[in-house]
Amino acid sequence: MAPDNNAHDQGQSPGTGPDHHDRFVFPKWTNRLREAVAVAALGGVVYLVVLVAGVFSPQNSAIGYAPEQPVPYSHSLHVGELGMDCRYCHVTVETSARANVPPTATCMNCHKTVRTTSDKLAAVRKSAETGEPIHWTRVHDLPDFVYFNHAGHVQSGVGCVSCHGRVDRMEVVEQVAPLTMGWCLECHRNPDPNLRPREFVTAMDWVPEGDPAELGARLRAERKISPSVDCATCHR
Amino acid sequence: MPRPIIYVLLVLVAVSLVPMGLLYRANHLPKNQPRLQVVPDMDQQFYYKAQTENPFFADGVTMRKPPAGTVARGMLAADDAYFRGIARDTIFVAEIPATVTRPMLDRGRERFNIYCAPCHGQSGNGNGMVHARAQALGEGTWTPPTDLTSQTVVDRPAGHIYNTIANGIRTMPSYGAQLSPEDRWAVTAYVRALQLSRNATPADLPVETRAALGQ
Repeated sequence: MAPDNNAHDQGQSPGTGPDHHDRFVFPKWTNRLREAVAVAALGGVVYLVVLVAGVFSPQNSAIGYAPEQPVPYSHSLHVGELGMDCRYCHVTVETSARANVPPTATCMNCHKTVRTTSDKLAAVRKSAETGEPIHWTRVHDLPDFVYFNHAGHVQSGVGCVSCHGRVDRMEVVEQVAPLTMGWCLECHRNPDPNLRPREFVTAMDWVPEGDPAELGARLRAERKISPSVDCATCHR
Repeated sequence: MPRPIIYVLLVLVAVSLVPMGLLYRANHLPKNQPRLQVVPDMDQQFYYKAQTENPFFADGVTMRKPPAGTVARGMLAADDAYFRGIARDTIFVAEIPATVTRPMLDRGRERFNIYCAPCHGQSGNGNGMVHARAQALGEGTWTPPTDLTSQTVVDRPAGHIYNTIANGIRTMPSYGAQLSPEDRWAVTAYVRALQLSRNATPADLPVETRAALGQ
């Protein structure tokens, strides 16, 4: 028995003997396995980076949100066409952290006598009659662990348009800024391009004559604006 | 390469496309749907915010009003002339019970252009954009806004104008919620300025200005 085995081991080339299945020999395609694994690993890293970046990108998480509202109120008509100031409705924006959504009474200032039978305004009339508030859907919503103050920004001369975009052209209000921490910090580090004279804060179409950064730098110096970038500025 | 391995690789590639597909879909959500929230921890906390619903109170409103008949400290508003524009009984004060200054007029102009100009127009003559639109729409229920520079309003005591802003008049609603007593007097002062400007004659101009205009 033993001599037979020995003869077999020495005399046969691998893979050609009658029992070559007993021994494992890497097939030829595995010669390039190392390169293939390297390529796959690289591809995997790229894949993960793209996926994580895509999932966490502000474009993905915030921009473009334009919820349907219970009343199809058009900013483009009221602000763009009729030229009404933001503060006609958002009264508290200059004095409070929050820019209020107006009470139904504000709508009824005009709609008591204008478009009194319009279907679009049915919910407004019902609210005015019953006192039940209209359930508007919030568009711009910062995380609850972020402190933001409208009054501070408006008083410093940051225009509404800087964060909210051309609301005067919006049929349905849409979020245009990412409202992310990086985006906030960008302006807190360099507010100059977004500063304007106080009287133009609500003007949607105002553009400075000359260089906005230059005007901003002047306004910043005049009003002693120095936005903080401490954690506790917003996370308090 | 053995077939099973090829199949496994193909399945892996196919599965890896699924998250990408979901990401693409999240990026192309219909505009009216809330955006994808990847890490939602503590974004929405369980406390009640301004202008939100609250099941705790019978009226379901989070923001509370002061109990009826109470006055916050230092907010008594006892001065009838300043806070109600009334001299005695139902007689309006003739003049503004405050010193009219340039900053006050500037403030009055700003507030007038926000809250009054939509109907009364920036020059106060009743030709605001809302009025123009109501006319264009042929609204039968619309009452044209008063020309604030007309003799009728010029003759009105300042307290009457203040009261109109605070409480409304005829079809005009109250703007008391939008304009504080201070702002109401500032707007009253600006209305007086508009009346002056709209009813001015060349004789009212300073001599130099008249000379410059060739009068």
